[in-house]
Amino acid sequence: MGKEKRLMLLAGAIIGIFSVVLVKLGNPVNMGICVACFIRDVAGALGLHKAEVVQYIRPEISGFILGAFVISLGTGEFRARGGSSPIIRFCFGVFVMIGALVFLGCPLRMILRLANGDLNALIGLFGFLAGIVVGIQFIKKGFSLGKSYKQTMANGYILPVIAVSLIVFMLIRPAFINFSASGPGSQHAPFAIALAVGLAVGILIQRTRICTVGGFRDIFLLKDFHLFWGLVGIFGFALIGNIIFNPTAFRIGFVEQPIAHNDFLWNFLGMFLVGYASVLLGGCPLRQTILGGEGDTDAAITVLGLLVGAAIAHNFGLAASAKGVPLNGKIAVVIGLLVVTVVAVSNVYSIVSKNKKERAGADV
Amino acid sequence: MGEHYCVVTFHSTYHAIQFEKIFSGLNYDVKLMPIPRQISSSCGTAATFPCDMWDEIEVISQSYNIEIDHLHRVEPTGNKKWFRGIIER
Repeated sequence: MGKEKRLMLLAGAIIGIFSVVLVKLGNPVNMGICVACFIRDVAGALGLHKAEVVQYIRPEISGFILGAFVISLGTGEFRARGGSSPIIRFCFGVFVMIGALVFLGCPLRMILRLANGDLNALIGLFGFLAGIVVGIQFIKKGFSLGKSYKQTMANGYILPVIAVSLIVFMLIRPAFINFSASGPGSQHAPFAIALAVGLAVGILIQRTRICTVGGFRDIFLLKDFHLFWGLVGIFGFALIGNIIFNPTAFRIGFVEQPIAHNDFLWNFLGMFLVGYASVLLGGCPLRQTILGGEGDTDAAITVLGLLVGAAIAHNFGLAASAKGVPLNGKIAVVIGLLVVTVVAVSNVYSIVSKNKKERAGADV
Repeated sequence: MGEHYCVVTFHSTYHAIQFEKIFSGLNYDVKLMPIPRQISSSCGTAATFPCDMWDEIEVISQSYNIEIDHLHRVEPTGNKKWFRGIIER
């Protein structure tokens, strides 16, 4: 167990250091890796939303998917599978993205923000944990999105092909792809390095199964800290890396944090929604890209939900900014919480009734 | 966990929890855990059980409507074997 713990810490440490390096090489501060922000930028680049400051094809996203794809092919773990409540997963993906863009970051960016002294992320973390705990109550009562089934290989290749297409767009830069001239979308590490880091992170996470949601879920549900050590590695080494490489940007406090706001309630509720929906999905946004890369088409659909969620968040004026959270964003988070709860309650009700019927049938 | 151990995997976490509840009630030495990496790249929930109970596990689970996926015998792995696992699969 000692060795496994060290391995997880090491994998987390590499991801933490990579995140710091990407910021040093040009990514926005505290955005070395942020799956929500990156998918939001890709949505902008593809013209799915019109927010001109967040449009860029982040090669890291293609890297995560293709890293998981290549290593899972190599190890024989690539399996095309799906059919586990795809439309619910799509919907939850949309709301995870809305929650993340109200907080301003996915759970991984929340850890990276915390590792750079942004205490607003601590409020986000409390919300995230609370959301996971509430989601777990439904899992304990019977919540399940159902079995997934083996599918034909072509199903599993769709997301990796989309990832390759994004790289091609990046290389040939056709006129229909948007690139930000200013703002976070214009700040990025060199393409080849960002892609290489994405591939490495994709491989690492496919092998170790590090997941920001899974790490905390296993503590609450199983009293197991295995995945959590990966998160400790990310936080610890991003913290050390920030202090060494980006000391001028390191500031402990709530105000004037980069790409963040200090509205406590909505930082809490935004991440509550992310934790709540993600634990019911079975993994955080980063983990969904990895599973999508290894043939899980349900995860691929969740990634598409995240993409559409990003478009909705910016087209409907839901996404927060350093100025705060717009009213539409607050309404959308409340709607998200209601939708996830209604789905979870109806799911548990259906499953419990089905089990009762089966038990009654077995007794006859 | 000694030389090797046995685990059962499930289609849903709910069934894993039910499994632990019912088998603990029957005084079986079972314990929930994350699915071992050697078995799956997914991060679901599994349960350990005494290997000599292999045959009974399936029958009792069925009688309590617990949907199990598979039973597995897991050999211990060190870092070396974990790495070897990558290149030999």
